[in-house]
This record gives sequence, C-alpha cells and structure tokens, in this order.
Amino acid sequence: MTLQDINPGQYCIVKNIRGNNLRKRIIDMGLIIGTKIYVKKTAPLGDPVEIIVRGYSLTLRKAEARTIQVERVEG
Amino acid sequence: MNIALIGNPNSGKTTLYNQLTGANQSVGNWPGVTVEKKVGKLKSKNVEANIVDLPGIYSLSTISLEEQISSDYVMDREMDLIINIVDASSLERNLFLTYQLLDSDIPMIIALNGMDIIDKNKEAIDYVSLSKALDLPVIPISASKKIGIDNLISAIESFDLKKTRKRITYDKKIEEVISVINEHIKDRFLSIRFFEDGLVALDHANVPESEQPELIELYHDIKGEFTLDIDMVLPDARYRKIINLIDEVYNKNDLIKVTTTDKIDKVLTHKYLGIPIFAAIMFGVFYLAFGPVGTFITEQFVWLIDQLFILIINGVDKLGMSPYISSLITKGVFGGLAAVVGFLPQLMILFLALAILEDSGYMSRAAFIMDRALRKFGLSGKSFIPMLIGFGCSVPAITATRTLDKDEDRKITAMIIPFVSCGAKAPIYGVFAGALFSNGSYIVVFSMYIIGLLVAILSAILFKKTIFKSASANYIMELPQYRKPTIKNTWLHTWERSKDFLIKAGTILLASFIIIWFLSYFGIVGGRLTLLSDEDISKSFLGHIGKFILPIFRPIGFNDWRSTVAILSGFVAKESVVGTLGILYGVSGDVVENGSALYPSIRAAFTPLQAYSFMLFALLAIPCIAAVSALKRELNSNKWFFFTLAYEMVVAYLIAMAVFQIGSLDLGTILTIIFTTIIIIFVYFMIRKFIRQKGSACATCDKSGNCSLPQNIEYLEKKGENKDEN
Repeated sequence: MTLQDINPGQYCIVKNIRGNNLRKRIIDMGLIIGTKIYVKKTAPLGDPVEIIVRGYSLTLRKAEARTIQVERVEG
Repeated sequence: MNIALIGNPNSGKTTLYNQLTGANQSVGNWPGVTVEKKVGKLKSKNVEANIVDLPGIYSLSTISLEEQISSDYVMDREMDLIINIVDASSLERNLFLTYQLLDSDIPMIIALNGMDIIDKNKEAIDYVSLSKALDLPVIPISASKKIGIDNLISAIESFDLKKTRKRITYDKKIEEVISVINEHIKDRFLSIRFFEDGLVALDHANVPESEQPELIELYHDIKGEFTLDIDMVLPDARYRKIINLIDEVYNKNDLIKVTTTDKIDKVLTHKYLGIPIFAAIMFGVFYLAFGPVGTFITEQFVWLIDQLFILIINGVDKLGMSPYISSLITKGVFGGLAAVVGFLPQLMILFLALAILEDSGYMSRAAFIMDRALRKFGLSGKSFIPMLIGFGCSVPAITATRTLDKDEDRKITAMIIPFVSCGAKAPIYGVFAGALFSNGSYIVVFSMYIIGLLVAILSAILFKKTIFKSASANYIMELPQYRKPTIKNTWLHTWERSKDFLIKAGTILLASFIIIWFLSYFGIVGGRLTLLSDEDISKSFLGHIGKFILPIFRPIGFNDWRSTVAILSGFVAKESVVGTLGILYGVSGDVVENGSALYPSIRAAFTPLQAYSFMLFALLAIPCIAAVSALKRELNSNKWFFFTLAYEMVVAYLIAMAVFQIGSLDLGTILTIIFTTIIIIFVYFMIRKFIRQKGSACATCDKSGNCSLPQNIEYLEKKGENKDEN
C-alpha cells in the first residue's frame, strides 16, 4: 500500500520510500520509516495531495506519493 | 564580523533581516553573483557586523539553484556567526536544519521566532533548557511584532566567538563511519555531508581526485552496514534526537484541533470553490493594476513626470549648450527615463498585490491549486507565479524563475515568459485596435493576450517534447500558516522589486536609448554626419535600416518602412513603439498618452489585417532589451540564450505571416483550407485509433507474453504505465 491509497481523513505510517527524484528531500522534510502521516486533502484538480507530517502541512504529487509505502493506522 | 541569517522558508527570515538592519538600510545585490544574497549592516553601536540574508532552505541537501547558494555558503563556512531562525510553530522540521548546521561547528545563535503565537495558543517552549541542550544562545523573538529583537542584538554583541561548544555526536556506529570517511576528507563537517550527500560534498573539500574512487568504494561499503537506507541514516538519527529534545522543552496544547489556517483553507482550497476564488483573485489583481484604478494613477504620474521633465528640458535648452549635447540630454536621456518611469505605477500596484498574496501565504495555495493544470505543460505549480508576473513585466518575471526547483523547469519558464503579453505592449494594441477595429477593439486586444498565452503554453509543450525530454518538473511544497501581511514588509517587498526593476531596466534602457537616439537623430546628409530634427527621421540611420530590412517584413504585411522602424524601436522598450510611430507620422503631442492623435495616420497606412499582423509580431517577437538581459542572466548559457531569441523571432514571424497570408485570401480559399485541415485532423485521429486498437488486440492474444512485434512491445509498455498511474 502506498500513500496514494490513503484517503483524505485517514492516518498512516511510513514503511519505506522507493527511489524518486525527490527522495532525499522527502526524507529531510521528515518522512522517515515509522513517521506518522495524516492525509488532509487533495487539490481541487485531484492532485497534488496535502498531508500533515511532524505538525506542518506538506503537499506533494501523487507521483511521489506512490513511491512512499505506508501502512494504514487508526488516528 | 560576517553574520549569516539561515532558516527554513516562511520562517520569518526576511522580516527579521529588516528588523536587524533597520528599515532604511540599503539592500544591495552582491556583486558578481548571479543570484540574490542580501547584505546589510547590523543595527548596533557596539559591533561592526554585516548581516547576510540567504534564501530559505529546509536542508543542506538542496534541490534548487536558490537553495544551493545558502548551502554552499554554509559548506564554505564564509561566516563568523550563524543566526539560525527557527519557526516555533513547526519546531520539529525547523530543528532538522539546526542540527545539520550544528555539525559545521560554526558559532551559532538560535532566534526562536513566532513566540507570540506560542503564547497565544497557550503553549510553552522552555528555551532555557533548549539553550542548555544545544549549548548555544536561544533568543525567543517575534520578528513581525518586533519582540525580542534587542535581546537578539545584545546576544550577538556579547557572543564569545572563541569559546568551543559541545558538538552533536551520533550513535557509535555512525560515529565510526564518520571517522573512517574523515581519514580521507580530514574535515568532520564535510565528512558528515559526504555521508549524507555523497560526492556533491567533495566540491567543498580538499580531496585529490586520485582519492575519489577510494571514497566511492568506501561509500558503497558503508551502505551495507546499515539496515536503513544510507540516505536515511543521518536524518533518522537527527529526528530521533529532535523528538527527544522537543519532549523535554515543548509544552504542546493538544486542545487545538482546528487552526485558523485550517478554517481559511477549507474555503480557499475547497474542491469546487478553490479554482473560482483563485480566478477571482487573479482577475482582481489585474483589474487593479491595469484597470481604471491603475490607469488613473499612471496618467496622473505621467503628467507629473512630464511637467518635471519639461522644466529640466527647458532649463537645458536655456543653457545654450551645443545642439548635440542638448539633444542627447533631452531626447536620449530624458526620453528614455520617461519611458521607464512612466511605467512604474502599474508595476508597483502589481508588485504590491503580489507581495500581499505572497506574504499572507496564498501564493503557495495558488501553486497547490494550479499544479495539476500546469504539469500537462511540463511545468509545476510554482511556474505559475513567474508567468503571472509576466503579464506585468517580463523582467521581474524572468528573475522570479529562480524560485523553481529544477533547471529544465526554470529554463522552460524563462523561455516562454516573453510570449506572455506584458504591460508595455498594451499601448500598441490600444492604438491599433482603437484606430481600426472600432467595434471589436476589445476582442482584438483580448485575443492578443490569449494568443500570447497559447503560444507560451504550446512552446512549453514543444520544449518538453523535444529538447527537454527528460524534464518533469518537481513539486514538493510546504503550505505555510496564513499570516497577516505587515505594512512594512509588504512595502519593503514592493519597493525592493520596483527598485530592482528601475535600476536594471533603467541602466540598460538608458544605454540603449542613447544608441537609439544616435541612430534616429543622426544621418549622413550631403556626405556629412548631421544632427537631424524629428521630422527628418527617414534620413537617419534608423530610417535607412528600416528601409533596408523592409523586404524581409513584406510577407507579414509590412509595406511601410515606418512599421519596421517602430518594431525595431520596440526592442529597446515596447513602450516606445507607439511613441516612434508618433514621431514617424509627424503627430505632435504625446501619442502614448493620447493614442487617438495617431488614429488618422494609422487608418491611412494600415489595413485591419496588416495592423493585426503588426500587433502579433510586436507581441511575439524578441522582448525589450531589459527582458533580453534578464533572460541572458537567468538562462546563464549562450546556447540557450541565442536559441531563445532565434526561436521567438521565428515563431513571431511564422505566426504573423500565417495570419497575414491566410487573411489575404478570399473567403472561398479560406473555407477550403479550413475544410481540408479538418479532414486531415479527422483522418489522423481515425488512423491513430485504428493503430491503437491493433495494439489492444495483443490483450486477447495468448502469445503476448513473449511476442516481440513492435505493437506488442508498445502495448506492454502502455500496460505498465497504466498500472503505474492507477
């Protein structure tokens, strides 16, 4: 399951990040194995997606969200 | 003393910079550096110190050129002291950069910003413990409310640069790896950077090239030693430390579930309302700048400038200088200045509106909303902002492409901005549409903006499909908390951009105006170089050039050398196209201000079709010199610079020619062409559909797995792609 599969309003935990252009940046922004993410909403046109991580709001494209493997958890 | 101000984007860095240096400190660009780094003097009686404001960064591992400036500055350790501004409202992420900076052993003070908001939310940060844990001064401040600035300044004044401080140490295993790397690099900080970033870090180290293969091998060895991916090892270690630290010092108010930002965003990035609101805001900005309000202010301002210049020009005339000098001053210098300065009010309104949108945090939402739409053209949501500024003026727009993350993305955006119809082109449309398209003049003007935008978008697609095939603009962006823009900051923002425009455009324009002045007021008469009057411009060098190149322009409908001269003068400043026409047609008075004076001459010289073709060419051809110089600076490569100029020239020529040639045909021929085109397109799509279906037949074929027919390979690729997308 990847971050893309998590619906707005749900929580998940990062399991792994596959290679992509922004991998290092995603890690530095605080997405590391075990980090909890809240998926807040998608943009009006369906992409990008807004997540809450480490207490701030981060937006990224579904193309990158797809490379982030997660596990759904309860809030 | 050299003090660098470093922090995350949106952490209030620029506000703090202004507080530390004082409002009236001059803010200058760094000489010899292509990208902006601001320097000011610290407001202190006791120490002499320069404050360097660097672009905001999240991490020393960078993804954009702008970020790299900050990162390089730290890696080269060019400063004596770092003021690390930390946004208290997202402490966890902000401290990540702090920990990276601590690895450098550069003396550091933390300015903990946004403490007023922490208080307001009934939260608390124990900055004394934070200071003890990190072994450096932590000063709570609120940059926007000017709280704690004096404390920060006295902390700088009393800072002991010589004292050695506690260094951040990692787990045993990580420390072992760092020391192994350090045997080669002999610099702990750069060894850590190498551990994190790989070879990029070596740009700043003194490692002979012969040792590099050894280091690469070492890097691969290290990879195997950790269960985590190697690029995650240090961030993981840092975030663990940060979480432990925050547990100790941060008293969080868990009762706040919905923040003001959440409430605003519920509306502004709403699924259905988001886009209409965005469109309304953009329309509002342009209405303000280019609608009745902006026009009125401009008119008043131009009148004032004219009065002032008339005074000066009369004064110069009375001095009884040689006619050469007085012509140079009145027509060359002040003519040029008036053209630039008269454009300022509208630009300032635009900059002001954009500053408010930026400072409040809406711009990031605009990028968030627009990203999906712009991605189709190989751009990211962030490209939207430079393109928007492009409607005002290409010069600041091209400069604004620096904020884009990827090089290709930046290049494409900079290359297409000149097609976006800038404010200076508006008088051209106004005069021609007013003279020749009385009823439909609004549609004609509007069509110019649409065509400009279309050509820009199609060019972006073309560039992406051909020369920048690998380009796929990145997008990762923080949505900062909404903030009330402060008057001072908004004004500084506006003024800085306006000044930048004035200085850059002013100096380059002035030089080129003098050249143009020479070409248009001098000519060889009777075998001698002679100063000419306004009426004799046909005898000038410019007139001769215009006549000489006229044949090239005949296919696009120009049959008068005056049109070519006007277009040529547009390369200096698009504002001067109309003014030049005024001079060439011998219309007295200010034609820029009062375009209708030109109507009769234009009606006599142009057919509507020729006028439309002229407007198209003026819209799409090479921008003014100021924009060209901005392009040269931002593209930073002669190859791309000249390519862009040639491309714009060719596109402008082909489109104007197509419109003029097709428009010249009789109705029957036009209908035939349209009909044929439709049929060709129809047939093309039919064939494509047929080919696709052929491919999809592979889905039902049981040999599809190991068949190497081209259509099957294509089909398998498509199938793989679709899987990815779902």
